[in-house]
Amino acid sequence: MATTTITRSALRGLRCRACGALGPADERYVCGECLGPIEPEYDLASFEPGALRRDIERGPRSLWRYAPLLPVREPGLRHAVGWTPLLPAPRLGAALRVERLYLKDDTRNPTLSFKDRPVAIALARALALGLDTLACASTGNLAGAVASAAARAGLRAFVFVPEATEAGKTASAAAYGATVVRVRGTYDQVNRLCGRLADERGWGFVNFTLRPYYAEGSKTLLFECAEQLGWELPHHVVVPVGSGALLTRTATAVAQLRATRLAGGEHCHIHAAQPAGCAPVSDAVLDGWRSVAPVRAPATLARSLAIGAPADGDGSVAAIRESRGSAASVDDDAIRDAVRLLAATEGVLVEPAGGVVIAAARELASRGVFHTGETVVLYLTGNGYKGGPEEIPLRPVIDADADAFAEAYGEVAP
Amino acid sequence: MTVLRLPSPLRSAVGGRTTVEIEASDLASLPAAVAARYPDLAARVLRDGAFGRFVTVFVDGEDARFLAADTPLGSARVVELLPAMSGG
Repeated sequence: MATTTITRSALRGLRCRACGALGPADERYVCGECLGPIEPEYDLASFEPGALRRDIERGPRSLWRYAPLLPVREPGLRHAVGWTPLLPAPRLGAALRVERLYLKDDTRNPTLSFKDRPVAIALARALALGLDTLACASTGNLAGAVASAAARAGLRAFVFVPEATEAGKTASAAAYGATVVRVRGTYDQVNRLCGRLADERGWGFVNFTLRPYYAEGSKTLLFECAEQLGWELPHHVVVPVGSGALLTRTATAVAQLRATRLAGGEHCHIHAAQPAGCAPVSDAVLDGWRSVAPVRAPATLARSLAIGAPADGDGSVAAIRESRGSAASVDDDAIRDAVRLLAATEGVLVEPAGGVVIAAARELASRGVFHTGETVVLYLTGNGYKGGPEEIPLRPVIDADADAFAEAYGEVAP
Repeated sequence: MTVLRLPSPLRSAVGGRTTVEIEASDLASLPAAVAARYPDLAARVLRDGAFGRFVTVFVDGEDARFLAADTPLGSARVVELLPAMSGG
């Protein structure tokens, strides 16, 4: 039988999530009618499931294998974003009492966080529009992703971060050649400044003027998880929540996998993981599915999740409820312990946001949310080498002498 | 009078201007003042007499959700509307 290769995107246009208006895929980044968020809509019924699956499986080992379900074409930069491993985690699973536990290790992207995914899509859109500058408001990881992508494509980059952002994150962004703008105040204050600048400058602000495209990159984690599980949806996925974009697009990915009949599975419960010092979404879920109340002064060591007024906060609560998921918020001590537990059991070092996910999974497991035989996927979105655990106590420095070693380390190496 | 600053997607509702003047004694009365003077703008940003959830209001740089409803809007104040977007 003759086969066809799907090379086109099924993009139909941009639809407003607030008023429902469908418009062309032009340069708008919010709905002109109501200021609501606009999102790509696809003609999913146009795909023959077998052909789509086959073409994906033949595709590149990057997020671009899902090009038919993305709004832009791969620009040919060969940056190898995505297609990160889904690791079985039996030792961590035993510690958390979760039978079939998997880690989506997205710390292995070019700049060591999942932010390379949305930026890959935003960059492709920026190049298609002929823009010469990328920019962003960032809690840290996005700054590096934007700086790296811009360097790869030969564009200028401006990244705006709170003053308290980890030095490793600002230094790496600067090394890529970006102009790093440190701003006094919280992420939400940085965000307000960038909202104004995005409106005034002709730059490609990935999380403002390119947002309808940018956010689509976050779908690809779940696409990959399903494919790596043999085209089965996981029963549970635990998602760290900052802005909520990753969680809402995880829900979008589930819906698109079902609509295209790419993946089966009876249910896929989506759970939010947030630090107690900034948990507007988890609090809204656990307080009876109320509206999100913004947090004025986030206080958590998980700085990459310190977004007090999440744009996709209410959308996240709705998506969690629709998936019959839940949420957890965990304090800084639990986050520190979880980072160490993951590293010591599975050999994966994450930034504190990853500790939030592990600690949240522990809490969800203790509440009986996961059942025997169900697959549980934890998203690990940021590497520990650029924003890792603080104050891990080390044993003493010794002379290069065997007796000194035996004396100082006899307790652990008798 | 208070200066009301608008993002580019909303400027067509006020003749293409970046800023307009508005007279509102306090934060609580701002939606009604917008509706009275700029009905085209109000049709885009107000829902049931209040700013919709996809519009963020800032008063001199402060998110209005953290301010009391009776916060006065004196002549020196700038009120800014921005799309509710944040985070990566």
